[in-house]
Amino acid sequence: MVWYLLALAFGAAAALAGVVLPRHGRVAVSMALGASSCALALVASVQELVCGVAWTVHVTQLLPFSGVTLSLDPLAALFVALTAMVGLAACVYFLGYAHGPTASRSGVSVFMLFVLALLVVPAAANVMGFLFAWELMALSSLVLILSEQATRPRARSAALWYAAMTQAGAVSIVLGLLLVASSAPGQDFAQLAAGAAHLSAAQRSLAFALTLVGFASKAGAVPLHVWLPKAHPEAPSPVSALMSSSMVTMGVYGILRVGEGLLHGGNLWWWVAVAALGVLSAVYGSLHATTARDFKRLLAYSTIDVMGLVLTGVGAAGVLYDTGQREDARLALMASLLLLVAHAAFKGSLFLVAGSVERATGTRNLDRLGGLVHTMPTTTCLVVIGAAAIMALPTLSGFSSEWLLLQGLLHGFADSSTPAVIVMLLGVVALALTGGLGAVAFVKVVGIGFLGQARSEGAATAVEVSRWMRLAAGLLAVPSVVLGLAPGLVVNTLSRAASAALGVGAASPVARGTGLLLSHLSGDIAPLELLVAVVAVLAALLGANRALVQRRARRVAAWGCGREEQTPRMQYTATSFAEPLQRVFSDVLRPQTDVEVTHAVESRYFQESVTYSQHIADVVEVRSYRPLISLVMRLGEGARRLHNGSIHRYLAFGFVALLVVVVVLS
Amino acid sequence: MRFRLRRRDGALRGLVRRPISERVTERPAQVAGVYLRGSLQLRHVDVGSCNGCEVEIASAFAPHYDAAQYGIRLVASPRHADGLLVTGVVTHNMEGPLRQTLAALAEPSVVVACGDCAVNGGIFSDAHAVVGTLSDYVTPDVTIVGCPPHPRDIVAALRSLGGR
Repeated sequence: MVWYLLALAFGAAAALAGVVLPRHGRVAVSMALGASSCALALVASVQELVCGVAWTVHVTQLLPFSGVTLSLDPLAALFVALTAMVGLAACVYFLGYAHGPTASRSGVSVFMLFVLALLVVPAAANVMGFLFAWELMALSSLVLILSEQATRPRARSAALWYAAMTQAGAVSIVLGLLLVASSAPGQDFAQLAAGAAHLSAAQRSLAFALTLVGFASKAGAVPLHVWLPKAHPEAPSPVSALMSSSMVTMGVYGILRVGEGLLHGGNLWWWVAVAALGVLSAVYGSLHATTARDFKRLLAYSTIDVMGLVLTGVGAAGVLYDTGQREDARLALMASLLLLVAHAAFKGSLFLVAGSVERATGTRNLDRLGGLVHTMPTTTCLVVIGAAAIMALPTLSGFSSEWLLLQGLLHGFADSSTPAVIVMLLGVVALALTGGLGAVAFVKVVGIGFLGQARSEGAATAVEVSRWMRLAAGLLAVPSVVLGLAPGLVVNTLSRAASAALGVGAASPVARGTGLLLSHLSGDIAPLELLVAVVAVLAALLGANRALVQRRARRVAAWGCGREEQTPRMQYTATSFAEPLQRVFSDVLRPQTDVEVTHAVESRYFQESVTYSQHIADVVEVRSYRPLISLVMRLGEGARRLHNGSIHRYLAFGFVALLVVVVVLS
Repeated sequence: MRFRLRRRDGALRGLVRRPISERVTERPAQVAGVYLRGSLQLRHVDVGSCNGCEVEIASAFAPHYDAAQYGIRLVASPRHADGLLVTGVVTHNMEGPLRQTLAALAEPSVVVACGDCAVNGGIFSDAHAVVGTLSDYVTPDVTIVGCPPHPRDIVAALRSLGGR
């Protein structure tokens, strides 16, 4: 407990340092304090995960009228650990990244406030404290999105979408929590959990639905995801990494805490709905990631994809819990939590790398990158590790977590009801489809963005970024490798976290050495042994090749049919690489292509130039949100006609309102 | 826009970056028969021919003389090829593509000069756009004289390489 409170104190000190100090020492001191805060929070959460006993502390002075209750149980500790890990790397990255507006007083202090809020949200254990931390998280990230608006023309629009959707979600969460709290003696979550038994089933479902809307929007579930691909690219890169790795996981935390912790599982159909949202998000996100050209927008859609898989696992766990299969529910939830931790590590690393690339080349457009393996070799290594992890290649963390999730889905439905079987089928299909599409997306990122030759002047003149930025991305690559090679190390802590969420006892799949052994399902993986075997075989083959083959390889330019003017712009671009898939899924993606032909002045038979442009807009945004927005605008325009400036009309409005109030009250 | 491949110092130097080399002009001895073993895939390059040799080569691969029965085939890319079949005198515009094609051949490989133009310039050796003959760029393994060479002679020369 002491470590955690100390971490919060350091975080507050870091924010204060950001405001008070002059520009010369501001970033260094503030980030040092911030990194210490994250390290202390990591220690606190690991201690909590290992010993498994929850603690609670009530601080009355932090908020008026209700105070703040802080409580860490293993589930909350897992989310704090995840946040602290990414926060530490983000603080280190900030040291190398900060310049101009990001290093201003507001830039640095609001960044530290954001980290602080992210550390407090999982631990907040009363309604007011939770909502306060939630709003602080949302508002600080909003300010941070706008911090680089001078150089990013779309930042303002992104911030507007983000603000509107996150506030709408917050309103929904407030209503849901107030509904749950209406039958409880106090505000603490423990009291809410006890009082939820007095709510009727309809009230509980309504409360869950309201909070689900808010939390699912924060987690990036389709169709409430529209803010995510706009906001994540426009924020500065350490902020994007935190948003994508930690902030979206708070949505999942909220669903688990309210659905299981406060409302004790409730109706089966809640969890089927969660799983359905998950499947939809996974497929939709991976499709858009496959066809995205902007590096960070691709990563944002990939976040939607992985969060969809996590929500599928959470939904499956809820369904299994409600049908009485407790061990299988715990396994599915463990898989989802492992996927969350793995995602935090590799997505954070990828966003930091994207920031490095943007800083070095001046562009995020994959169609204009390339050849970075020669000029930025360390960054390329890090992106290969991150991409391999997110593609779920064996011996990395994505593989362990998706394997565990697949096991949980496939075997957890032995003798289950129809909704459970439907959820299982959809989940397995989603995993398979997103696996393939995700592989296309990240082969595109690495192959087109980093290999080959530079497609623009910016990419050709790139230089490797500062050592802090590389160190930070490397820090997050370590958990990707460790969790992949030795998932057995964390299986006990995950089991404790999942049990804390579901409220069941903590027995678990066995860790066999560093691998995993699912005793009751007869499935096991041993990634460390696999890696050793593969490396040994490769070394033997390479050694044999060196010893037996005498030839020295020549290095020549790529064969282009003898063309004299062969330029790097003749390589594949990201758009052309993804074009076959875009054509196959064109009904879902609905790309808008335009071919514009300019004819020569002298004769229409000759063309001066032909321009091809292609744009894939988010279908949900175009078909649902924009009509809704234009409807609201039309209503507003209509209501404006009531304000015609006549004082007599306004007095009449007031009089009628007073009459109505008097009639209603009496 | 034209971007040249830039050389930079980096951590993976030596592994990633080796200097671009010219074609190795000394070929291992005994290429013919030992390495090719009855299968000869050739890429034809016309560096400046009047198309007379091309007509005779087409006849050599047509049903009457049928070089394909001896395992000799024309392929589309030097990357697929065991060697080059070069016709014509080297002209100004085709000098660069000839260099690139020679560089794109993988070892071991052969070069066949077909026709008097490829061997010594023939009747066009003093023409205005001519920069040299094939021997100025690479030493051919087999030369087929004639203007144009008879398809019989073409097939016999190629059989001597492939070994069938």
